[in-house]
Amino acid sequence: MRNRVFVLMLGASGWAFGQFGQQPFGAQPNFPQQNPGQQSLAHKIDFPHDAPVTLAGDEWGGSAATVRGGAYAIDVRVALSLRNASQRRIRGITLTVLAQESTPGGKGSISVPSLDVAPGETFSVRGDLHLLRPIGAGASPMVEVSLDGVLFDDLNFYGPDKLHSRRTMMVWELEARRDRQFFKALLDQSGREGLQKEMLASLARDGDRPQFGVQMVRGRATNTEGERDLQFAFLRFPDAPVEPMGGIARIAGNEARAPKLVVHNRSPRVIRYLEMGWIVRDSQGREFLAASLPSEMRLPPRSSSQILPDAALRFDPRTSVESMTGFVASVEFSDGSIWIPNRVELDDPVLRRVVAPSPEEQRLVQIYRKRGIGAVIDELKKF
Amino acid sequence: MVRLHVAACEGCRNWVAAFSSDRDALRQLAAVMPAGVNWDRLAAEMSANVRVGLEAGECVAPRVHKPVLATGWRVAAAVAGVTALLVSAWWLNMPRAESVALGRVVRKIAQARPWQGGIRAFDDSGPLVQVSAAGIQLQQNGGTLGMSQGQEPPVSVTLNVQGSARARYIDADTGQITITGVYAQ
Repeated sequence: MRNRVFVLMLGASGWAFGQFGQQPFGAQPNFPQQNPGQQSLAHKIDFPHDAPVTLAGDEWGGSAATVRGGAYAIDVRVALSLRNASQRRIRGITLTVLAQESTPGGKGSISVPSLDVAPGETFSVRGDLHLLRPIGAGASPMVEVSLDGVLFDDLNFYGPDKLHSRRTMMVWELEARRDRQFFKALLDQSGREGLQKEMLASLARDGDRPQFGVQMVRGRATNTEGERDLQFAFLRFPDAPVEPMGGIARIAGNEARAPKLVVHNRSPRVIRYLEMGWIVRDSQGREFLAASLPSEMRLPPRSSSQILPDAALRFDPRTSVESMTGFVASVEFSDGSIWIPNRVELDDPVLRRVVAPSPEEQRLVQIYRKRGIGAVIDELKKF
Repeated sequence: MVRLHVAACEGCRNWVAAFSSDRDALRQLAAVMPAGVNWDRLAAEMSANVRVGLEAGECVAPRVHKPVLATGWRVAAAVAGVTALLVSAWWLNMPRAESVALGRVVRKIAQARPWQGGIRAFDDSGPLVQVSAAGIQLQQNGGTLGMSQGQEPPVSVTLNVQGSARARYIDADTGQITITGVYAQ
């Protein structure tokens, strides 16, 4: 009797293990396997009925899901054709690509700034994202594309703004206006040659800009031996509504953590958001933009506040942090208006070397590279 | 009330006196051992009766099973069979990537040696976001997921300390900028 029970248990265990391994695939037999462990990706595009853009076409070629550990590694390769269904010109759009809301790495976004789409016109949005979705989160791997926001030429915004894309797209649009104005003024003052010279200089800076590996470490740092405090230096912009008063971070080898900054609002308005840039210089003299330090706050006029982001950064193992510099990158006031640095303030040698130009400047430089200075001048005349 | 009645009633007073007299007589008789009693024999009989009672209780008590460890070749064969079954089930059903990920985790635990206080080095519990000239990468369990816009490298990448990163790409033909973001937290 006991032997029979034992044999039955073995059989049941084998069946159970077979079911365990097959479940993710067996649950959806309609998904053909492309290669071992990979399967097609179900997708959904969900725009509100009153959205200012409508879907004119979509292409998902190359999108797939692969089992990796306890999750699907999802490759989203999407090309959407969208039509401007509003009566205003569209300047920017942000789409949310969601594999799993609550999963770290389960959410992505695709933004297209520096657009100029007239009512009724179509434009394309392409994205190539890699996301994660837990195997247990649903029967099949799936992504959903939805609209997070649309920015119009009058700086009005439409969308749920779950990713704070209004603020981000506003910054890009203000930077675009600032830079087009700068290039137009340059054209007026120095002619084609002056503009061409500036395009070439921007191209050269793009080629020389260092980009080092930086890792955002969750939780505490892994190396706390020999830790020391290091003070921030600051690039001060006379025009900025916020003045950094002081700052410190804990440094250990190639890791920096627990930055603390004190800022003062010298404007007459309440500030609700501040973003600072964090530049790191290593012992070999290499300088690079390590990260941005955003902070939601409510900072009344003429008052100070402390910023304590729970952050730890890990750099390349050869990097030994020697000094740090902070600067005010953007400020949002309580009425939704935004401040960004002007071109004069950005003309600092350190910033020019390590901070990327605006998306609009990169777009104009690409037009110059592809079609010459005449095309850039034509582009500037459109605005 | 009773006391008042007895004091007033002669008949009842006589009954009470008679009961009191009988009580005293009984007390005197109980204080004297009966004649001819063998006290030692009586004590031996009482002890014997107690022992008989205990033995009888032992006979009717439920049987207690003493735990016995199973040993021998049957157990060894059963353990070997189950092990073979587990290994076969894993080999046949688990994707290779999953086995590799598990191996990485086990290796990491062994390197961190949390049982020797090395837990500080073993705190990468979730996906990490990393930026480099190649773009954005998500790291989980030692594995890496890259992010790219076709074959082109990004023109710039930025890391946000709140746990997100953005990569900026340019379409070489149209100049259109596309910025992709990923949120690790």
